Amino acid sequence: MINESMVNFYFDYIQPLLKNKKSLIGLIILLIYIFMATVGAAVVPLDMNSNFAERYQKPSLKHPFGTDYFGVDIFQQIVHGSRAVISLTMLASLLAVLIGAVVGVARGYLEGIAGKIIDTIIMVFLVIPSFPALLILAAIFMDKDLNLFEIALLVAIWLWAPLAKQISAQVLSIKNKEFIEASRMLNMPLSYILFSDITKLLIPYIFINFVMQIKGAMEFSVGLMFLGLAKFDPTHWGIMLNYALYQAGALYTAKGFHYVFFVVLNIVLLIYGGVLLSQGIEEVFNPRLRGNE
Amino acid sequence: MNYFISRVLYLLVVFVVAVSGIFVLVNNMPGDPAYGLAVSIAQQRNVPLDRALEIARNIMGIDPNESLLTRYGKFMSNLFKGNFGYSAFYNTSVNEIISRSLPWTIFVISLATFFSFIVGIFLGAFAAQKRGTVIEWIISTLSSIIQAVPPFILAVLILFAFSVSLKVLPLGGAYPVDVEPSFSFKFISKIFLHALGPMLATAIPQIASWTLAMRGNTSQIMEEDFIRFAEIRGLRDSVIARKYIRNNAVLPLVASLAIGVGYMLGGHTLVESIFNYPGIGFYFSKAIAARDFGLLTGLFTLIVIGVIAATFIADFVYALIDPRVKLK
Repeated sequence: MINESMVNFYFDYIQPLLKNKKSLIGLIILLIYIFMATVGAAVVPLDMNSNFAERYQKPSLKHPFGTDYFGVDIFQQIVHGSRAVISLTMLASLLAVLIGAVVGVARGYLEGIAGKIIDTIIMVFLVIPSFPALLILAAIFMDKDLNLFEIALLVAIWLWAPLAKQISAQVLSIKNKEFIEASRMLNMPLSYILFSDITKLLIPYIFINFVMQIKGAMEFSVGLMFLGLAKFDPTHWGIMLNYALYQAGALYTAKGFHYVFFVVLNIVLLIYGGVLLSQGIEEVFNPRLRGNE
Repeated sequence: MNYFISRVLYLLVVFVVAVSGIFVLVNNMPGDPAYGLAVSIAQQRNVPLDRALEIARNIMGIDPNESLLTRYGKFMSNLFKGNFGYSAFYNTSVNEIISRSLPWTIFVISLATFFSFIVGIFLGAFAAQKRGTVIEWIISTLSSIIQAVPPFILAVLILFAFSVSLKVLPLGGAYPVDVEPSFSFKFISKIFLHALGPMLATAIPQIASWTLAMRGNTSQIMEEDFIRFAEIRGLRDSVIARKYIRNNAVLPLVASLAIGVGYMLGGHTLVESIFNYPGIGFYFSKAIAARDFGLLTGLFTLIVIGVIAATFIADFVYALIDPRVKLK
């Protein structure tokens, strides 16, 4: 039974993605970085001791991405930083999707005052621009040592609202279907109707949205670190970029160009993987976009 | 009309809740807003820091015993009279700072909106027409890559490339300090030159998303039956492209134009502080650094008003141009 549904899931959702060029390439990029964060970080050593004799070395076999201002190997830092970057991004996306799904389902199903209140909350988070708010939140938590979960939550707070709005629209369109009417007649508890009847139908949609959150989660978490406002892992790429640009001033000297270049390259490539995968997913599951290919 | 009133009331509630949230958030920031002023008073007048703090609080009109609730009440009642509060750091009203900085922000954002919309529409329609060719591939790949560059990184890269390395763009400000403001060609060209960096940083990501949206819309409409029918009727390709395809593809985008402006307002805050461009965002980041709670709350409120107004306009524009949408 479980095996059968797994097989169905594969044929319905995974196989079409592997056939689409965009989502395949996006998936490969993401998998490379996940590989880097798991196996790579275990295999590649990290030596953060400064070595001024070797500062700003050009990329070579010994230092694939060159060395930074302190003579520390950039490749090692990127590999070890990928753990913080990927875990933070994944956790933030997951939290955003969870909050968005719960609030969205509640908004879609509830009527009257409760529905209006939830609607207002969603709208408030839609009209408060995220970057200015993140700046203030970051200043509030600057002196506190936040853990991974807390930073992810900080990011997720500014990501869930659009998703909640979409999901509530989906729920509105299915909540008057017969099978839900039937559950209501049978006096099933509200939690059963909400989470068993409705949410089950939305799971593929929620899964797709998880991928779409990656871009935003990455952008916000790198932004937080880049602005130097949240203390975290010093090899997080956002902190590396902050270091390269503002502490070391790498772009003021021609020698430091590769330092900034490789950090930005990895940030952009990882987000690009997420963008491609979600574009592919949209093409596969939204037939109107497929056209006559 | 009924819809209009209920919508306004609803957004008013959203506004009050949002601004209250911002007020609480800002006032929970660590740091004493009077501290900076107190230190300089202590040095100049040679008084102990405790006494200096007292003087500073007096100057800035801060009562340490006043509860958050009283301050909130004052702020809200002032706000509805059109008074955005008082900036301790600049020692002037927030309205004064807004009147000084808002024109620059509006200037750059309108330029960016106009520029990105025109270029995006053109590129998107072009890509859809050249479907399946290398040109389409290049345009859509480039747009996707640009979407993957976080806006603040793009801003920093533009700043370093054009202002630091190539030295073709200025390093900051809205116009050079040594030029007297006037209506001369020289001064106006300087204004555009200074706005170019922040404008590009805000516009380039928007160009990418307009391009992708326009390409998607256009290729969807090209599949519709009424296009096939127009072809069968023997209409010229150029007429079909212009009247049937482009107009229908642009309409939904015009509606989201206002949403785009609202979205830009938030991101532009960061861009202005990176470019040292004296708009709202520049003063916002200064206020965070100086822990100027009054200025911070006032400016954030202004940004939220902008976003709410944009949402409101988008709703109505959408209903106006698309007869299928009826306001209930």
